[in-house]
Amino acid sequence: MTWGAWMLPLPALVLLAPLTAFALVALIPPLRRRGRVAGLVVVTGSTVSLLAAVSLLCGQHGLDQPLSRQVWRWLPSAGQDLAQVGWLVDSTSAPMLVVVGLVALCVQVYSFSYLEDEPGPALGRYFGWHALFVVAMQILVLAPNLLQAFVGWELVGLCSYLLIGYWWKEAHVGKAAVKAFWVNKVADGGLLLGLVVLVGATGTFAWDPTGLDPAVLTAVTLLLFVGVMGKSAQVPLHVWLPDAMAGPTPVSALLHAATMVAAGVFLVVRAWPLFEGAETTLMVLCWFGGITAFAAACFALVEDDVKKMLAFSTCSQLGYMVAALGAGAMVAGYFHLTTHAMFKALLFLGAGSLIHAVGSNSMAAMGGLRKQMPWTCLLFVIGGLALAGIPPLAGFFSKDLVLEGLMRSGHWGPFVLCLAGVLLTAVYTGRALVRIFWGELRSPEAHPHESPALMLLPMVLLGVATVVVGFLGAHFSVLVTGSAEGGAFHIGPVGIGGLVLALAGLGIGKWLADGGSLSALAGVAAQIASSPLDRFYETVWRRVVLVAAAGVAWIDRYVVDGLMNLVGWASLWGAERARRLQTGLVTDYVAAVAVGVVVLVLYTVGGL
Amino acid sequence: MGLLSLTVLSPMVAAVCLLFIPSVSRAVVRLVSLCGAGVSLVGALLVTARYDLAVGGIQLREQWDVVPSLGISWKLGVDGWGVSLLLLTAVIITAGVWATWTEERRAKEFYAWLLVLVTGVFGVFVSLDLFLFFLFYEIAVLPMYLLIGIWGSTKRVESGGPFRFAYDLLDVGGKEYAAMKLTLMLLAGSALILATFFGMVSQGPLTWDLEVLQAREYSRTFQLIAFPALWVGFGSLAGLFPFHTWSPDGHASAPTAVSMLHAGVLMKLGAFGVIRVGMVCLPEGATAWAFVVGTVAVVNVVWGAISAMGQKDLKYVVAYSSVSHMGVVMLGAATMTIEGWNGAVFQMFAHGVMTGLFFALVGLVYEKSHSREIFAMGGFASKMPAVAVFFTIACLSSLGLPGMAGFAAELLVFVGAWNSAHAWWAIPGILGAVITAFYVLRVSRAIFWGEGPSENFPDLVDCRGTEWVAPIMLTACILLFGLAPDLLLRFIDVSTVEHLGWLTEHADGVATLVEGGQP
Repeated sequence: MTWGAWMLPLPALVLLAPLTAFALVALIPPLRRRGRVAGLVVVTGSTVSLLAAVSLLCGQHGLDQPLSRQVWRWLPSAGQDLAQVGWLVDSTSAPMLVVVGLVALCVQVYSFSYLEDEPGPALGRYFGWHALFVVAMQILVLAPNLLQAFVGWELVGLCSYLLIGYWWKEAHVGKAAVKAFWVNKVADGGLLLGLVVLVGATGTFAWDPTGLDPAVLTAVTLLLFVGVMGKSAQVPLHVWLPDAMAGPTPVSALLHAATMVAAGVFLVVRAWPLFEGAETTLMVLCWFGGITAFAAACFALVEDDVKKMLAFSTCSQLGYMVAALGAGAMVAGYFHLTTHAMFKALLFLGAGSLIHAVGSNSMAAMGGLRKQMPWTCLLFVIGGLALAGIPPLAGFFSKDLVLEGLMRSGHWGPFVLCLAGVLLTAVYTGRALVRIFWGELRSPEAHPHESPALMLLPMVLLGVATVVVGFLGAHFSVLVTGSAEGGAFHIGPVGIGGLVLALAGLGIGKWLADGGSLSALAGVAAQIASSPLDRFYETVWRRVVLVAAAGVAWIDRYVVDGLMNLVGWASLWGAERARRLQTGLVTDYVAAVAVGVVVLVLYTVGGL
Repeated sequence: MGLLSLTVLSPMVAAVCLLFIPSVSRAVVRLVSLCGAGVSLVGALLVTARYDLAVGGIQLREQWDVVPSLGISWKLGVDGWGVSLLLLTAVIITAGVWATWTEERRAKEFYAWLLVLVTGVFGVFVSLDLFLFFLFYEIAVLPMYLLIGIWGSTKRVESGGPFRFAYDLLDVGGKEYAAMKLTLMLLAGSALILATFFGMVSQGPLTWDLEVLQAREYSRTFQLIAFPALWVGFGSLAGLFPFHTWSPDGHASAPTAVSMLHAGVLMKLGAFGVIRVGMVCLPEGATAWAFVVGTVAVVNVVWGAISAMGQKDLKYVVAYSSVSHMGVVMLGAATMTIEGWNGAVFQMFAHGVMTGLFFALVGLVYEKSHSREIFAMGGFASKMPAVAVFFTIACLSSLGLPGMAGFAAELLVFVGAWNSAHAWWAIPGILGAVITAFYVLRVSRAIFWGEGPSENFPDLVDCRGTEWVAPIMLTACILLFGLAPDLLLRFIDVSTVEHLGWLTEHADGVATLVEGGQP
């Protein structure tokens, strides 16, 4: 069967398959209440969507012309199109489509088993949000202009809020969900302003506007980057991501590691024609990325909760991507996004498997699990080594490209930060691997067991991808830019240096896990672990924002409205006084008449 | 009789019919009310279908002389703006009738006044005669006094602040107080409007015909005085800072359907008046005052949002959010750009359905929890999941999430603001949207999330029977016009181009501004 003119275009299928699944689950309560059936519907939708995405990617040959572009009017202005919606499939969006589709499908399949004890209605809701997330994310990826990207951008934020809040009855879950939304909304305020400025200057939301004044270009890209900082959890707006781990682990794998948080990086890649020419902005990106890569690795080092450690690690890796983009190495950043999506999703699913088995997030409760959980151990170690940047796993190649790009750009500060980050990444990874899988099981209550096949299967798939994808750098580069230059691997001083650092880091990590301690740095570590930035935001919210709001509300109630009430009071008071003129005594009235007559006579006679 | 007269008068006819039905036959009372609202809804849909976008301008005209010696006539007609606002009104009244299906207290009288009020609202949107316009305006405003004063609820406000003595005397927070305050403040605005109308009419041969009065060349001095009078007069109904304080008390005291109608459509009359009569008829005055109008509007946006964050009473939060969102409408109006005006009118629609949904849900929550104290609630979602879902959708539209009607409106207004002579307006505008996200999600979490509900709320149940209708209708509107705003904007855009073109021709200085705003 071939895709004839009478069938749905493939990009439409990418969107409509999960959308249909979402609509069915949302609108048919009996379906939703049977959670596993709803899950089947959603997985079917995601499968169709992934197949369509894969065939779109296969149709790409690194050509400049978009493979498929279709738009409709969304907002009119004076009879013209101010904004359009539709899709744009080209060499930039096609790989991301597949990444999103693949990870989403793996995670959804995994969820069947991971959440099997959940009540049906809750599970139905969960799968419904998952379908909505796929739609939203693909809307963002397929966006033919910045506005549609913003639409998808906000909708994935909504899905994140809903999915973090899956266990909404628990107080800390609600807080985490709302916090994620708030931090992102603050950042999105900047992004929205950037859009407004852009459309004000060019009259269009297009990805590649022409004739933009350099100052305006810098302003627009910086404002867009504010949004990126929120979504891609760059310091200092990263605080929502560790809290977001309050959601189910598969959600963390899909949204908060592989795809949604990478949307910020993707946005920069997509809007590369804008960013490319804005040197100041690129420098800002490079520094923020470098600082995040280093700082978040420090946070990860002192974290005991395995999910939160991975969350900080995600921040850190996103920092690498942002730094690469800032260095002008667009392909490297995008490629690291792709490899990271695979190995970090794998790590999260592995963490889910561990938590499932041990019943705790704390690495202090784990230990020696390689005996009971050999498959999980193998896959988790593959993911961990990829994260640390050990060849021949995917992370090594992409991180090498990032570092090379940074070195070429001459931004030495971010380069050094990222190199230090490589060491730290290997340290925390090594420490975690040893603490989880070697030694003795530390939690007496835990009865660990290997996870069922339905959970292992998606992990195996991602594990294979983690091994394979790294070798595709040159192909990836050809696809995205038309030349292999940006993605081809060649062994160089940076690669070797990075590898040495990574191996040293793993050694240090093992030493730390085996009981060695950085006692000299313990104070610093404790300080980091208590997250002063978080407390600062909390204080501002409680002591400044809420107090100011109460103050404004009071002023509105008692001063602004008080003035209105004063008018009411004055009229009553005045009426009360005026009423006394009407005494009912004839003598008073006659006296008043007499005075009046006198005044009138004087007025007439005196000619006043 | 034409389609417009049918739409406008059917609620009034239903109200008159109600007078002849005994109060005890509740079912008949409800049915007649529903017919009145339903006919107007069908009428509004027919008007939409008949309006020819290719032709534009004012269509479906009707005209009969009423008092020829005074130049007053029954002259109706509808443009693209009118179409969208007719639709909004018809949707809200229909939803409102459903939302008060369970009202037991003097239901007949309640419905009758509600329907009379709606006739007034419809009338304002289609009047082409200023006398008629004012008449309908008053018909829309005055029934509020009875609707709040009789069917409202009372929640005393503590005395305090520098004017404590006034609070001691006035029974602040009482339903009678709220009804009186609302009526008096709006009537003060009406006085300004009427005086200005007299001024406009007296500037030439005697006529009240809006199109003739629009075409009249008023002196610059006259316009400079008349425009602010109309702005404040109409603005008081649109929640203009600092004359907005009737809104929180009024909306908090009013029964559900009245809050829905008042915040949903009545406040739009004010904004519509400012744009349609104030700006279009007095272009020079409007241009000269644009800076003040827009600056006060951003104050509205931010002040309303921050005030909403400081509230502890659910109805007050929603009421203050209306003050904030109406600021967005006025901001769009002040920009005098295509995008800004499109956004302003679209925001009227979007805010109308969104706040209608909010008040319908707040009514449901209040009815079942007997409380409005946000921070005493918690965990309601386990007992009323559907209400929680609808409430979340209203919140999301309120904070301008794409896919909801509020987003397209706010985006257009912000783009318009940036393209206007005062680009900085866009920044506090966006700030207001961000603050909105903070307070609506905080409230939503406090009510619906978490463990609970506690045993203080034994009567919580989800939507039942007729209670489903209003939330579903309004949610459908939010999503439909959020996903495909072009459906409605194509009507709005046609009229915006005409009216703004007119304004451009007749005001000095706007011409360059408008061209600058064109993509």
